[in-house]
Amino acid sequence: MTMIRTALRPDTDAAGSEPQASHDARQGHEARSAAAAAWGGAATSLVGLAGVVCGIVALAGRSWSLSLDGLFPMVGVQLELTPLGGLFMLLTGAVAVIVGIYSAGYTRAGHLGGFPLAVMPIFVATMLLVPAAGSVPTFLLMWELMAVSSMMLVLAGHRRAEVRSAGVYYAVLTHLGFMAILLGLLLLSAATGTTRFAEISFAIGDVGHGARTVIFVLTLLGFGSKAGLLPLHAWLPRAHAESPSPASALMSAAMVTLGVYGIVRIDLDILGPGPRWWGLVMLAVGAVSALFGVLQASVATDLKRLLAFSTTENMGLVLVALGAAALLTSSGMRDVAALALAAGLLHLLVHGSFKMLAFLAAGSVQNATGLRDLDRLGGLARRMPVTTALFGVAALGAAGLPVGAGFVSEWLLLQSLIHRPAAGDTLMALTMPLAIGVVALSVGVGVVTMVKAFGVGFLARPRTDEAAHAREAGAPMLLAMALAALVCTVLALVPAALDPALRALGRTLPVPVATLGGVVIGPAGGLGSIAPAVLAAGMASAVILAVALSRIGSRRRPPAQSAAPLWACGADGLTSRMEYTASSFAQPMQRVFRGVLRPEADLSVVRAAGSAYDVEQMAYRERPTDAVEAHLYRPVLRLVRAVAGWVRRAHTGSVQLYLVYGGVGLLIVLVLAR
Amino acid sequence: MNQDLYTAGMNTAAGTLLLTAVLVVWRRELRAMVMLLACQGVALAALPIVDGIAHASAEVIGVGVAILALRGVVLPAVLLRLVARRGPARRGPARWVPARRESAPVVGTSLSLLITALLTVTAFAVTRPIVRLQATVGSMAVPVSFAVILIGIQVMATRRRALSQTVGFLMLDNGITSAAFLLTSGVPLVVELGASLDVLFVTLVLGLLARQVQAHFGDSDVGRLRELRD
Repeated sequence: MTMIRTALRPDTDAAGSEPQASHDARQGHEARSAAAAAWGGAATSLVGLAGVVCGIVALAGRSWSLSLDGLFPMVGVQLELTPLGGLFMLLTGAVAVIVGIYSAGYTRAGHLGGFPLAVMPIFVATMLLVPAAGSVPTFLLMWELMAVSSMMLVLAGHRRAEVRSAGVYYAVLTHLGFMAILLGLLLLSAATGTTRFAEISFAIGDVGHGARTVIFVLTLLGFGSKAGLLPLHAWLPRAHAESPSPASALMSAAMVTLGVYGIVRIDLDILGPGPRWWGLVMLAVGAVSALFGVLQASVATDLKRLLAFSTTENMGLVLVALGAAALLTSSGMRDVAALALAAGLLHLLVHGSFKMLAFLAAGSVQNATGLRDLDRLGGLARRMPVTTALFGVAALGAAGLPVGAGFVSEWLLLQSLIHRPAAGDTLMALTMPLAIGVVALSVGVGVVTMVKAFGVGFLARPRTDEAAHAREAGAPMLLAMALAALVCTVLALVPAALDPALRALGRTLPVPVATLGGVVIGPAGGLGSIAPAVLAAGMASAVILAVALSRIGSRRRPPAQSAAPLWACGADGLTSRMEYTASSFAQPMQRVFRGVLRPEADLSVVRAAGSAYDVEQMAYRERPTDAVEAHLYRPVLRLVRAVAGWVRRAHTGSVQLYLVYGGVGLLIVLVLAR
Repeated sequence: MNQDLYTAGMNTAAGTLLLTAVLVVWRRELRAMVMLLACQGVALAALPIVDGIAHASAEVIGVGVAILALRGVVLPAVLLRLVARRGPARRGPARWVPARRESAPVVGTSLSLLITALLTVTAFAVTRPIVRLQATVGSMAVPVSFAVILIGIQVMATRRRALSQTVGFLMLDNGITSAAFLLTSGVPLVVELGASLDVLFVTLVLGLLARQVQAHFGDSDVGRLRELRD
């Protein structure tokens, strides 16, 4: 019985009750899976390293293209390095290097089987080839391969019903998105008469306005679904929460950004800054996504689900920046537009770094406790100090506070939105303040969210035995997380390190890109500039000064008299039941944004036998719902189901009838085609 | 071979093709249906053989011989084994007694023949543009191919036994093969071989299916599979 149980659930620690023989077999199995993990992780890292090299080469301005005509019938495969693609290859490659190191340690704990481990390098390779695609068919091929391989990673734990449901959501939404992209890009190449991106850029001038608009809408919808933007976002919180953590990190930090790559490449670069309402649409989609994502994140209690919604928020902010850049360019304010675009791209990279770190830390928590539910975690700071500190770095970055990774880009985004519009430009005068409000609100709620994730999940007392007996992650996982934290810190303190990349982009994109300059960063003119490194140095020295002063002061003071426990108002016997939980922490948010979040409540009462008043048990559950799903997806699904019901009536199961259908169909075609 | 002989040969082959198809609709004895199918296979093979002799093309004759071997001999033999197997004595308890007749077709014989006539007329009507395009001896026979295709579908749709449906399917395929041959005046050997292999496999699988259905339900009425729908 024990054998069967352990065979089914390799992650349970049942070694104590096992017979010796199976213990040995288990050790052998562990040694083998550790070796497999090391190979899989190394392969992922190596592919990532190749991506980093290619990305740097592309950003350095070395153009390189490769045409493999025999690889794919009729159209061949064309690869081409561009600076824009190079930026995304650099990001994807760097994420893959770190995730590869991490997964070598992660797998050892038995959470990642051989199959996802083997798929991961393939997934990384396809992600690297998407930005390297030089023609429409190649792009579509790589895009679809990326979707399929990530699908396999999502379904790694397919024995659980939630995972299968997440897989269905992902498959449906990603293919809806793919359909839109397919239509858009086919229209694009049909309108320009070529499939090469380089030639399309030349021929785009002859394409009519209507066709351009259709292509813009289709590609924005399709790429938006991959970037987790509304309205095709529903796969993201499910797939990111249910897939193994290294896969979540890859998807959230790298794959999602490729959606933005598509938008920048097709909608900004190739179609060029179009009419003003394009920018406005992008701004609106970004703003709604950012608000929706951050509100859902603020009330989420599942750590990975929270991080996934935060991805939607951050991609929304990036799209706000892109939309603002397009709008400002069409208003002739190229300097400010350049700043907005630089802020967006910087935020993309920064988000990749801190979100990867956050997912890796969440994975290490899940590895140690088997839990993702914040309401059941807590007290991890004592048991897992390094993971806690590293998650703190990520949370600081996600919260957009100074010294955190997200601060500079969000600051620059706000700076680009705050400006004096040209006289009489009502549209800008109306739009920009609203955008500022959206960015400010989402950053503010983001702080609440991250305080919740860090405070409830890692501080305080453990709420369950699993959390109380957590063990610190192994060396490869800590090393990977430390590397990610290092990247976060570098991007936070010296964002100007990205200047060469931004300069290279500025030479190729039709929309200007600002560089970040040296130590002081900000809009030309100096107003609203910041110096993150100086800021950090100032904060660090202030903290050191404060600590030193208090040390000196405490020498003179007599030692504390009280023996009562700290933080308990003098009372003893605090239990973890008295702590804030993630749900209770989010309660005010849920109340304030009740109209948007529309929480679903149900109360179940079990009455004592024979009494109308005596209640034995009461259970109250409240969970936020997704308004978009309820009001957009469900009607569509109902409609599809109704139509399918009609079609089903024709399906009686009789083979003869089906043959008659076929025959009549053939006859109709023959008669009509005469 | 002079022109008259060639025309007569092609027309006889095409006529036999159609005649056997109509006879399959008429007969309900399974063994007779398979025999008619074999005749149709021979008629089908006659088309490329006559054409090949007329144009002195060894490859086309090769295609004809291959068709003759497969459709005239192998496929009917496979089907006959299904009909003729008397199983019970050697195979232990009565697992399946092969049905000798198409017991109750969905549509009666006279109505079936009427439908066949209608389908044939339709086939001749819809292929007029093709015949008008080039009035050679070959393309004159194209309507027959279409008629055989439609009659094959009809047989599949109106019979209940898996075996009769297989016969219908093979007729449909015979029609397609002849149409392909007549319209392109000579399908490459490779293509023909590939298509033939497909048909052979389909027949083997259908035969297996018929046996399984029979073993499970006691008869090979495909209506029993109705429960399999979603």
